[in-house]
Amino acid sequence: MGLIGPNGAGKTTVFNLVTGFVRPSSGEVRLAGESIAGKKPHAIARKGVARTFQIVKPFARLSVKENVTLAAFLRHRSRPEAEDAAGALLERLGLGGRGEKLAMELNLMDQKRLEMARALATGPRVLLLDEPMGGLNPSEVGAASELVEAIRRGGVTVVLVEHVMKAIMRISDRVLVMHHGERIAEGAPADVVKDPAVVEAYFGHGAA
Amino acid sequence: MGALYAMIGIGLTIVFGVMRIINLAHGEMVMAGMFAAYLGQKHWGLDPFLSILLWAPVLFLAGVALYRFLLARVLPGGELNTLLYTAGLSLLIANAALLLFSGDYRTLTLGYAIVPLRPFGIAIPVALAIGFALAVAITTALWLFLGRTDLGRAIRATSQNREAAILMGIDVDRVAAVSFGLGTALAGAAGVLLAPSLYLYPTVGELVIVKAFVIVVLGGLGSVPGAVAGGLLLGTVESLGAVYVSSTYKDGLGYVLFLLVLLYRPSGIFGVGRS
Amino acid sequence: MKGRGALAAGGVALLAAAGLPLVVHNSFVLHLCILVFLWATLGEAWNVLGGFAGQVSFGHAALFGLGAYATAILYLRAEVAPWWGIPLGGLAAAAVSVPTGLVAFRLRGPYFSLATLAVAELMKLVALNWEWATNGPTGFLITSLPPLHLLGLPMDWEAKAPFYLAALAMMGLAMGTVAALSSSRLGAYLVAIRENEDAAEAVGIDTVRAKVVTLALSGFLTGIAGGFYVLYFRYIDPDAVLNLGISMEMVFIAVVGGLGTVLGPLVGALCLTFAGETVRERFGAGHLIFYGLFMMLVIRFLPEGIWGRASKLIDRLSPKEARPGAPRG
Repeated sequence: MGLIGPNGAGKTTVFNLVTGFVRPSSGEVRLAGESIAGKKPHAIARKGVARTFQIVKPFARLSVKENVTLAAFLRHRSRPEAEDAAGALLERLGLGGRGEKLAMELNLMDQKRLEMARALATGPRVLLLDEPMGGLNPSEVGAASELVEAIRRGGVTVVLVEHVMKAIMRISDRVLVMHHGERIAEGAPADVVKDPAVVEAYFGHGAA
Repeated sequence: MGALYAMIGIGLTIVFGVMRIINLAHGEMVMAGMFAAYLGQKHWGLDPFLSILLWAPVLFLAGVALYRFLLARVLPGGELNTLLYTAGLSLLIANAALLLFSGDYRTLTLGYAIVPLRPFGIAIPVALAIGFALAVAITTALWLFLGRTDLGRAIRATSQNREAAILMGIDVDRVAAVSFGLGTALAGAAGVLLAPSLYLYPTVGELVIVKAFVIVVLGGLGSVPGAVAGGLLLGTVESLGAVYVSSTYKDGLGYVLFLLVLLYRPSGIFGVGRS
Repeated sequence: MKGRGALAAGGVALLAAAGLPLVVHNSFVLHLCILVFLWATLGEAWNVLGGFAGQVSFGHAALFGLGAYATAILYLRAEVAPWWGIPLGGLAAAAVSVPTGLVAFRLRGPYFSLATLAVAELMKLVALNWEWATNGPTGFLITSLPPLHLLGLPMDWEAKAPFYLAALAMMGLAMGTVAALSSSRLGAYLVAIRENEDAAEAVGIDTVRAKVVTLALSGFLTGIAGGFYVLYFRYIDPDAVLNLGISMEMVFIAVVGGLGTVLGPLVGALCLTFAGETVRERFGAGHLIFYGLFMMLVIRFLPEGIWGRASKLIDRLSPKEARPGAPRG
């Protein structure tokens, strides 16, 4: 599912609420019917909700492999198992040969791959991606889109916050539009794009 | 007392605002001021209060030199490293003083300060009164400096947004040097003003730095008015505490207040700092 | 150095060190060694929290003093022998550190450090004023230690040897703990927390629990060091065991030696103690001047600490040694 909206609409805040980095002052957050509002982030991660950050937060001075291994510890108790799982994920996400490099040595695209690999290592049911394509050039955007689709094919539900319209429209099954902290439209990409409220939110009054 | 605390706090907070470092050696600078005043009186017969005119610029230059030669190289290493570096500096200065002066307590006596003043029936020691007056004067002068002069504005700008300041053509490095010098001078000046009223010993810096932190956090790290308020607040709390609770616990009150503020309002009671 | 080889080497070194008092009888040298072991232990203890988890505490003196006072009070008031009192002191320190940590860990970075400072100062005030518990500024003086027989030999509490061995054992324990930590899952989690706490939370690491457990561990080690202090120096008062200087010295030893390493604090303790005590003998005061100097030099030129840098150099050199076919142990 794609989550879009003009800047300041509250998209990252939604992520923060869902993943436990911000406590809701009212209302509910539910995962498969179970309430997770107000829980700590690590507890929510254990329940199967993983996220990436808009500004990547790698464990800078650790190796790429160690970054992912740490996340894999959530599902694998022993170090050898976790390292194996990490290695496999790195391959899947195109970081195969770079396991021993320090996270801070990677370029932006690879850091974003690392961010995704780490999130996936926790074995989530739902993956929240916060503007993964920010700062990438067009060919990298294409690669990132394919990555997201591959993750989806792996059975993980993906919620994607993005500004790169082409990508979101292409890969989303459903799109939800936010404006000023509220939902203003929801549906198939083609429908949402034509919704006058959405056009107004993006282009201003009178453009619809 | 509060005004003097405020001076110390302002120095620390300016340094933090501009350079984002907590200068653990700040206490030692106050100590340096105290000893400078003491030596000035002992060897040259200088009246401590007048000697501020001499020591303040000297300490300012010392501060700038410290920054240029020592600190500037360490800053890129990050906040933690710089913090530890200033911790090392503080030990170095304090212990150098110990080696030079020995740990004996000394006092500075003023011929004209024996009989306390008694305005409104409250006894105020003369030295403290003069110190207070001068502190207020200095703080006001500083306030005018920060508000009216270009350099002052540059300092405030840099402390609010370093990158924007660079873009505006402000020589951030020079501002940092000046700020550090200013912080040192303020600390030293406060020391000079305090010298006639307290016992002098080389490790007094330890005591001072803890209080300075309390003040600065109370008012909000980086905020000058906050430091003033924090200083006055701490001074008042301590004095009242000494009278109503018990003189031994008065320090403790400050710490408890400090912890409470840290936990519940990290940006300072006046909410002007950064959390 | 990794794995079994390192453990074996460590064991041998400890045994060798244990034999020192048989050969060296110079009391000052043994005293220095005891101090080195004591400070190395404290450095290791601080390192657990500061080097691995990245939480810089300026208040560890509180834990040290707590352990010291606990041991003293248990011995002098409740007649609990110090060899039980010391571990109990450690436990007391660990126990107190848990609620403190739960509260203090809500703060991050420099705010956390300042809070630890305030807590330690508060504890000193409490010790100064709760005379019914701690004798206030007078402190405690231990005049005699209970008799103990080890392997059939009576312990001579006037000699340095028993204390040397005790300190060595204590340091061994501390280093062993740190070594175990560094290769454990908790250790890896701590490093993650140090690098990026939000990301650590996001991958399922319970950061609060990890930090509190680490603090308790650190507290325990610091506490037993405090207990040892009482046993060896036989006198404590708030200024001796609860002052800011002790907290800072711990920080210095860990940083100068090498944060996050097992041998670092030992190296740090060696440098600083030898330099410091020599100054103290000659000048009487101001021995900490070396601490300040070393600290500044290290931060400026060797931010990973003396051993930190040395071990990196060794790592870079060793693959070349291993290549000529000989397998490493």
